[in-house]
Amino acid sequence: MRPRVPAERYTGASVRRVEDERLLTGRGTFVADAHLPGMLHAAFHRSPLPHARIVAVNTEAARRAPGVVAVFDGAEMTQMASPVAALGAAPGSGGPVSFGILAMDKVRLVGDPVALVVAESRALAEDACELIVVEYEELAPVVTVEQALDPSLPAIFEELGGNRLFGPEVKVFGDVDGAFARADRVVRASIHQHRHQNVPMEGRAILASFDASSGQLLVRASTQGVNTTRQMLAQQLRMPLDRVRVVAEDVGGSFGLKFGASREEAACCAASRALGQPVRWVEDRWENLTVSGQAREESFEVEAAVTASGLILGLRVQMVIDSGAYPGFAPLVVDIVREMIPGPYRLGALSFSSSGVVTNKASYVAYRGPWAAETFVRERIVDLVAQELGISALEVRLRNLATRDEPPLRMVTGPSLAGITARESLLRAAEIVDLARFQERQLRLRDEGRYLGVGFATYIEPAPGPRQEGGEGNTEQVRVELDRDGLLLVHTAQMPHGQSHRTTLAQVAADEFGARLEQVRVMVGDSQQTPEGFGTGGSRFAAMAGGAALHGARRLRGKVLEAAAQILDLAPTDLDIWRGELVGPGVPGGGLPLAELISRIDLAARSGQLPPGVDVDLTATEDFDGGESGWSGGTHCCVVEVDPDTGLVRILRYLVVEDCGDLINPAVVDGQIRGGVAQGVGAVLLERSAYDPEGQYLSATLMDYLLPTALDVPHIEIEHLSPVRLDPDVNFRGVGEGGMIAAPPTICNAIADALSPFGAKVLEQHLPPARILELIGATSA
Amino acid sequence: MPESELGARGPLPIRLEVNGEERGGDVEARTTLADFLRDQLGLTGTHLGCEHGVCGACTVLLDSLPTRSCLVLAASADGCRVETVEGLARDGQLSRLQRAMWDSHSFQCGFCTPGFLIQATALLAENPTPTEAEVRHALSGNLCRCTGYESIVRGVLAACAGPERSGAESK
Ligand code: FES
Ligand code: FES
Repeated sequence: MRPRVPAERYTGASVRRVEDERLLTGRGTFVADAHLPGMLHAAFHRSPLPHARIVAVNTEAARRAPGVVAVFDGAEMTQMASPVAALGAAPGSGGPVSFGILAMDKVRLVGDPVALVVAESRALAEDACELIVVEYEELAPVVTVEQALDPSLPAIFEELGGNRLFGPEVKVFGDVDGAFARADRVVRASIHQHRHQNVPMEGRAILASFDASSGQLLVRASTQGVNTTRQMLAQQLRMPLDRVRVVAEDVGGSFGLKFGASREEAACCAASRALGQPVRWVEDRWENLTVSGQAREESFEVEAAVTASGLILGLRVQMVIDSGAYPGFAPLVVDIVREMIPGPYRLGALSFSSSGVVTNKASYVAYRGPWAAETFVRERIVDLVAQELGISALEVRLRNLATRDEPPLRMVTGPSLAGITARESLLRAAEIVDLARFQERQLRLRDEGRYLGVGFATYIEPAPGPRQEGGEGNTEQVRVELDRDGLLLVHTAQMPHGQSHRTTLAQVAADEFGARLEQVRVMVGDSQQTPEGFGTGGSRFAAMAGGAALHGARRLRGKVLEAAAQILDLAPTDLDIWRGELVGPGVPGGGLPLAELISRIDLAARSGQLPPGVDVDLTATEDFDGGESGWSGGTHCCVVEVDPDTGLVRILRYLVVEDCGDLINPAVVDGQIRGGVAQGVGAVLLERSAYDPEGQYLSATLMDYLLPTALDVPHIEIEHLSPVRLDPDVNFRGVGEGGMIAAPPTICNAIADALSPFGAKVLEQHLPPARILELIGATSA
Repeated sequence: MPESELGARGPLPIRLEVNGEERGGDVEARTTLADFLRDQLGLTGTHLGCEHGVCGACTVLLDSLPTRSCLVLAASADGCRVETVEGLARDGQLSRLQRAMWDSHSFQCGFCTPGFLIQATALLAENPTPTEAEVRHALSGNLCRCTGYESIVRGVLAACAGPERSGAESK
């Protein structure tokens, strides 16, 4: 009886965002906008040196400075909070590594926090920071991977006995030696991906407020997940979990940076507890660029065993990841890179060696598609194979991509490739860009001294990826409840910071329950109410949280119908909920508003009018693992023109053909894709976290770390493929990371194609004008 | 305000018109206009994304000109007219630009939003029917890390296109 035609559903429509009215009128509340009575301000005294022993810290003058309430150095902070235990030290090494919340005996990067000043205003706190005098004994900086592997240089963590953090660890899949024995040719390349960083427009920030009488710590955080932040803070502050409450309101972007709690954030909480007053810290852009974290410095030695016709039989890969100063996320990344490197290709054999090192640079953090190196390396190698064999890159891709009707539809590393549409996306992209016509034009223009190039990259993104066989439940929990006003509350551990979840989750729940969109409130960002889940990341939202909301709304709807049927003495199958009303033949007045229905259910339950067994708890909690929804993926295609005189790259066309399943809100999906591609444009043409040979950071302002502007990012054409629907109910898939995963190899492949007449070989991802000129040979001495 | 007074220690009294209202306060010589608006007047809609004049999040209209409030000392704005993002909606009604940006899904996290709104308001005041290239150029000094700009540019263009509601983008 319920209209099921798509036009009547919210899901699939670009409904306007519920977030926007606030944000467009300046009424968003970011941490820097929050004030509490008696609030104090934090600033950090930071190391000017990349690597040094701390001999003495003198904070006397700072303690006496105007407006200063307290100063804490590393030794004092150790009394107040536990050190951070880092993941990922090699089993054989002296590790595991742990380090203080503030630097104690050593500083390990420029910007390492040495002391925390708490004062009446941020300006006064910063003034006092300048009065702190630290005596250092300088140590040789370890800046590059080569230096990290040089045993003559000092160990950044003495307990590691060197600067190798883990590895080399080798894993082999399939018959690698056989593949190389059968190969007509071996294509070799050293491929490097440079350091980038997240640079959310709002940096890290925290407002910590400890209430001495209740022993409660209330934290306003800028985070991707309140549960994770709470857990880390409780652990570091040695507080029972139930004494820590983390809330988050608006979060000004993150892209992987704001998970858990940073050292600085933990320090502010410890300070608030010690002082019994609220303490706020809002990092400035220098801090954000210098110490918040950086990503993606990875090097690869690759050998590809190929046949003369372009079939890639096997790969041998050696990966080294530079985890920066304080180990954390890097070891997780190499595992995903290894598993994902076959991508949607029928690669038959893989040997993969991975190592990690520590250096005196900013710590490695997650950044949109953290494992993206696999796509970069694979898609570059595919083009290099094509170049060496003298066949087109399109041909090589088509020869190697897996097809759905050809078993085994599975990566050599294990995961199933069920439902992928990689081949369709590539063919469609080649068709839209009209490759044959383009190539004619390209040749013609070369005669005029103009250098155009076209590049493709095909990828898949585990969003959520195939169900892990025997894998232990990786689920997302959503609690759907009806409140007395007839509002449908959808509680999720997802913590939107730009992804529009307050809108999209409401769309899914409204459709499934039968509510009007305005009746749905998506509840996020309060650890006291938030269900289980680590937060927003890994493109988990659409399939996992969306699916949990769908199933939760469905179950709650069933409960409501059951109870309503009892009250009205009708059959549940005769009833429906549509646009926020109970409807059906026999429903009084033709429709009963939800609020009224709920109060009648409540009354009936309390006066014992309902038979036992009718569930009147109008709440449904669902855990969902993403079902069979599988992979997102697609192909990007880019056309560039390179100016051989200036080295400038102009993007003439950028096209995305992608499949993220059923779209919940097309405008939101397209926004995620375009935002990701923009970051890829930045990564290739502009952005680099650069250090000098002494380990000083060179990109510490937005004039040095260049973000793309409205003039740098082209119009991005998007076409959505119709998906293979493998799940009976939930075929939305995540789309947060694909743009940033696929754009760098796509643009690099296009530039390499444009530079092919010069015999240039593109083995890196950062291609600013100076580098382009070097590749052309125009500036080589 | 005489130079000597700006260099003096101690608070300086200033008065200015903010979003049509007379406002005043005592500021330190080093207090920026952004900090004054945010901390003393509670107008936290103006955001600080870099505090060195690059990102544009802090843009306000200072005597009708788009200005980076992180680079202006509050004391030097004494006697000026300031408009912030909070002043764009009138009597609870969103401006045409705000509505168009809502319809166009212009923003994601919303941190850069005030700067773009003010910059685009200034553009449209000067040039009510800009081309896409003109819009991109006018907004090229404002950074957004989320959107890739296309939705923002479309929002501005929708604000000057004929029909009021240009509809949300979708493919
Ligand atoms: S905060 Fe003023 S330009 Fe960035
Ligand atoms: S919407 Fe997030 S920075 Fe622009």
